[in-house]
Amino acid sequence: MKNRTWTRNKHADGQNLTGRLVQLVTFGILSVALISTASAGPREQAKRIHDRLAGVPPTESVLQLMEAEVDFGQPGSAIDAAYRAMEDPNFYNVTLKNFAAPWTNRDQSVFVPLNDYIATVVGMIRDDVPFNTLLSGDILYVGPGSLPAYSNFNNDHYAQLEEQSLDMKNGLQRITQSSVTGLPPSATAGIWTTRAAAEAFFVAGTNRAQFRFTMINHMCNDMEQVHDVRLSPDRIRQDVSRSPGGDSRLFLNNCIGCHTGMDPLAGAFAYYNFNETTGSIEYTPGVVQSKYFNNDTNFESGYRTTDDSWINYWRNGQNQFMGWAQAGPGSAGSGMGAKSMGEELANSDGFASCQVKKVFKAVCLREPENSADRFQVSQMVNSLKAGYRMKQTFAEAAVYCMGQ
Amino acid sequence: MNKATGIAVAHAQKARAILVASLMGLVLTACGGGAGTVENPLPQNPGGPTQVSYNGLNGPRDAAVNAFLQNVWTPMQNSATCGNCHNETTGQNPMFARFDDINMAYDDAMPVADLTVPGNSRLVSKVGSGHNCWLGDDQACSDIMTTWIEGWAGASSGGGGRQIVLTPPAPIEPGDSKNYANATAENFRSMVYTPYLEQYCSGCHSSGAATAQSPYFAETGDANSYLAAFDAAKPKMDLDDPSASRFVIRLSPEFHNCWTTSCTQDAADLQAAIQAFANTVPLTQIDPSLVNSKALRLVDGTVASGGNRYEAAQIGLWEFKTGSGTTAYDTSGVTPSLDLTLSGEYEWFGGWGVTINNGRAQGSTSASRKLNDRIRQTGEYSIEAWLVPANVTQEMSRIVTYSAGDAARNFTLQQTLYNYDFLNRTTMTGANGDQPQLSTPDADEVLQATLQHVVATYSPIDGRRIYVNGELVTQGDPAAQGTLVDWDDTFAFVLGNEAGGNGLWQGTLRMVAVHEFALSPTQIEQNFDVGVGEKFFLLFSIEDIINVPTAYILFEVAQFDSYSYLFDRPHFLTLDGSQPDGIPIQGMRIGVNGTEVYKSQAYMNLDDVLTYTEFVELGQPLSPLGTIMPLEKGPADDEFFLTFDLLGSETFVRTLDPPLVVTESDLPAAQRVGVRTFDEINATMSVLTGVSPEEMNVDMVFQSLRQSMPATEAPNAFLSSHQVAIAQLAIEYCNALIEDRGSISAASYFPGFDFNAAPATAFANRDAFITPLVDNVMGFAVQTQPQFSVVRDELGFAAISGTHPGDLIDRLIAGGTGTRAIAKGTCAALLGSAVTLVQ
Repeated sequence: MKNRTWTRNKHADGQNLTGRLVQLVTFGILSVALISTASAGPREQAKRIHDRLAGVPPTESVLQLMEAEVDFGQPGSAIDAAYRAMEDPNFYNVTLKNFAAPWTNRDQSVFVPLNDYIATVVGMIRDDVPFNTLLSGDILYVGPGSLPAYSNFNNDHYAQLEEQSLDMKNGLQRITQSSVTGLPPSATAGIWTTRAAAEAFFVAGTNRAQFRFTMINHMCNDMEQVHDVRLSPDRIRQDVSRSPGGDSRLFLNNCIGCHTGMDPLAGAFAYYNFNETTGSIEYTPGVVQSKYFNNDTNFESGYRTTDDSWINYWRNGQNQFMGWAQAGPGSAGSGMGAKSMGEELANSDGFASCQVKKVFKAVCLREPENSADRFQVSQMVNSLKAGYRMKQTFAEAAVYCMGQ
Repeated sequence: MNKATGIAVAHAQKARAILVASLMGLVLTACGGGAGTVENPLPQNPGGPTQVSYNGLNGPRDAAVNAFLQNVWTPMQNSATCGNCHNETTGQNPMFARFDDINMAYDDAMPVADLTVPGNSRLVSKVGSGHNCWLGDDQACSDIMTTWIEGWAGASSGGGGRQIVLTPPAPIEPGDSKNYANATAENFRSMVYTPYLEQYCSGCHSSGAATAQSPYFAETGDANSYLAAFDAAKPKMDLDDPSASRFVIRLSPEFHNCWTTSCTQDAADLQAAIQAFANTVPLTQIDPSLVNSKALRLVDGTVASGGNRYEAAQIGLWEFKTGSGTTAYDTSGVTPSLDLTLSGEYEWFGGWGVTINNGRAQGSTSASRKLNDRIRQTGEYSIEAWLVPANVTQEMSRIVTYSAGDAARNFTLQQTLYNYDFLNRTTMTGANGDQPQLSTPDADEVLQATLQHVVATYSPIDGRRIYVNGELVTQGDPAAQGTLVDWDDTFAFVLGNEAGGNGLWQGTLRMVAVHEFALSPTQIEQNFDVGVGEKFFLLFSIEDIINVPTAYILFEVAQFDSYSYLFDRPHFLTLDGSQPDGIPIQGMRIGVNGTEVYKSQAYMNLDDVLTYTEFVELGQPLSPLGTIMPLEKGPADDEFFLTFDLLGSETFVRTLDPPLVVTESDLPAAQRVGVRTFDEINATMSVLTGVSPEEMNVDMVFQSLRQSMPATEAPNAFLSSHQVAIAQLAIEYCNALIEDRGSISAASYFPGFDFNAAPATAFANRDAFITPLVDNVMGFAVQTQPQFSVVRDELGFAAISGTHPGDLIDRLIAGGTGTRAIAKGTCAALLGSAVTLVQ
């Protein structure tokens, strides 16, 4: 720290307009609109890094250390400060929990109980597990042994973990899904095959929900954004009416654009279901779930699913823009089952870009809005792809948005 | 093509070469246009007004003549007018309608009937061309005559299936043509719509007209009406040959609503206008580098539709083939015909059908009586329909009803959301047939807004049943067993609405039939499998490409709805017994009017080898899939062809579509600050006060208020209700802190401040309370936080000045509150304020 005078906030100049505008009327009636930003020095930048990453203010001792790291000319760097902020348990218990919670339900609500999907995301980030295995790994994070054991049939383990305010920073343990869920290792596919994801997206319906919400949550594109009518409809299932309400223009101009890409990929989920009676995920290797034949007389000449094969038609046409891997993991373009399809998605540029944009939004509290932001995002994407360490992405975003 | 073979094929084409497909193992049964019947229809007309029966000298000499008597002669005499001339008195040959001797009538009918392909009968083509058609629609007369002959043929043959005749098409290269894709609606408006259609046709052919007649090619009402009119007018104009436009022909020679005294001149004027419009449309020329098949239109195919429906008990049939006008003809052939009058808002549907928007099709009560009379005799019946509900939101919407209004009916098939309901009046279900009604199960949501085959059956033994797409979807009739003796023969048969107009159903009816028996599951499945609408086998010649005589790609093609065609299940076949083998085929696409369609190409990934060794019923199956292609000019004009990326040794190198280039634009600058969200607020208050979030009171309040606090950081989403919740939580944290329930005692947190003293005494030393509070909660030396002195003054030192009410502590003291309560309130005021909330 440079020579700094501890004078509380006794500034009479215009630099501290924020403070003067805050009106402390009885019980804090507050107008956020009156808050404005002030130019920030290392101390303020350090505080913001901590606020944004941990969700809570730093202690004075931590703030001083971070301030020094942020300050040019002092040992360490702003990235070190960010990593120090991420040592706060609230980074895991609050920030990351609420970062992942909306991905685990169809309403995209953050007000859901802790579950295995959330805990696995938190654990993977904590341990720097390459995040491109999010949709394919045989991985699961559970809490300490004092809790009810992990169950395929309920969420008690995680609900208790949250109710008891147990610390996920120190309390989560990495195990394999296959060791507790009964799924064969080859049938595990990261968060897709967690109980929470199954309950939300493999329940009833046609299993397209699992794919669509993956597109929203992990590719940052809803189906409309990848609408391409020029691809072959040869994998569009029989339940999709080719003449909704008697008007085939709807299909030819709208429905087809999403289903051409989605249906051939969602074939990978053909053996999965969430059994509402038992409350657990089902996996039926070699037997296509009956939901794939719902309303199969809507268009009998449509595609009839025979196995869990998938193919990525988006490797051709406009949706090449998602940057599909050309070599290494996730470069096959087709395959069997959810695991390989998860590799296909999670090794794309679109996946990496989406993770960065989500982190940017969570930390900077806004979207990338100009060329400087977009350049920063592109740099962060390159950085993420160098090892898929999400903590590094959080740190880079926090430093970028720590203020001038 | 081999020359010699080509000649042979040409002969075969002209002679409608009958390819009873057993030549190649292709026996195509279960296809064709009518009933491959099992039982004779019962064409008698019990109770009808005009009943002619045979009273000749000689009875039928054998079963075949009897079949003719029952299925053709009797209904013909009771509804058609053939008997007025083709009898022994008038002497018009052939005398197939003579009254004196049914055997002689039969002998005269045989040469003008085709029992193999009834639709090809001379009797059919004569009435179909308008020769003494007894109805207002030649097509309806043709259909009825076909039905009669089918009944005759079915009865004569014992109900066997019929063989399909594949007709090799003429080898035509895909022609250059003008397509609407290259036309502009503005040119249509200025050249055709405004000067002619809007001016002379909008009195009827506009949805807002008093006597609205679809199609609405003269739509008016707002500035963009011409766009809807353009869509409706496309099938009526022939851009390649304006003189063949339907618009022109309707004026001359058909004399339909000419606006001057000279229809010829009106037709010439309109033709010139269409020609001018067509001149603005560039010619589409097929890419010469394509590897393409020969071309053909839908109407060049071999009819494949309607075969082997079970129609033996059918007493009413509405196929909606007319395509215009206000009458839906009953083409069951069972007299009297229950023709329906269309009214209100409706549109004829391409590929047979009628769309009910806000109208209905209703029969007269006298004609409807046929249903009452025949069904009461059998005591059972079936309602069969191919339909497309417009939505899944309509309730108690009558699809098919035989009723008098909301409270009285004989039967009704209706839609309620995702369900079909079946109401049937028996002695046990009340006058409205709904005590109780039968519905499909809610959870199954069997009714979908797509083409469905629905059959409702009733018999005294099984009660009511509903079948959807060939499958029984109801489980038992909740009504007790009853009879139909209470049916009322004064009710009206109506489609798409209640007789009183209070039960509008919106959707498309492709076919409706009423049977006088309860169809069996097998019969229902049989009719479902046949499908609906006119289907064709299209044979796309590829013999020139692969040098195999009579080599074709066969598609089953139908007009799918008003906007598309269905291309289904392609096969490879040869017609002369050739045995090609080892011919690669890849990337097959469908072209229309000189250009490949850029979407819905379900066979573009095809990768196969053509070989005779896989020939089965229709040849070598290339794909089990079907796909729909957009309709452009209409089934009479759209010309189709196939293209291939690889076929035999010929290839087409395709340019791949480029990736989308995403250009992101700048967004308005957003706030650089935000508010903490619920969990962050809770954790922050815990950190700042040293009180655990697990503290009982704190936890209780937080759990109850969790969802009342901010869920997003956006400042502009912050609500006053959020602040109220935050304040309550802050009070609980401060309460726990000052009551020593945190990890730090109050005495340690506020050194030197006496919480046990009276307020005036305790707060005489108020800095001992305020300074640690502000330092802990707000932090210090953080320039983005409020100035310490300002906060300190607001809490404990500001004097009353102008509108400023003075500091908080003094006001709380003045209120007579105790020291701890004042401390808690002051603590909460800061803890729940922007200094903690804003990040």
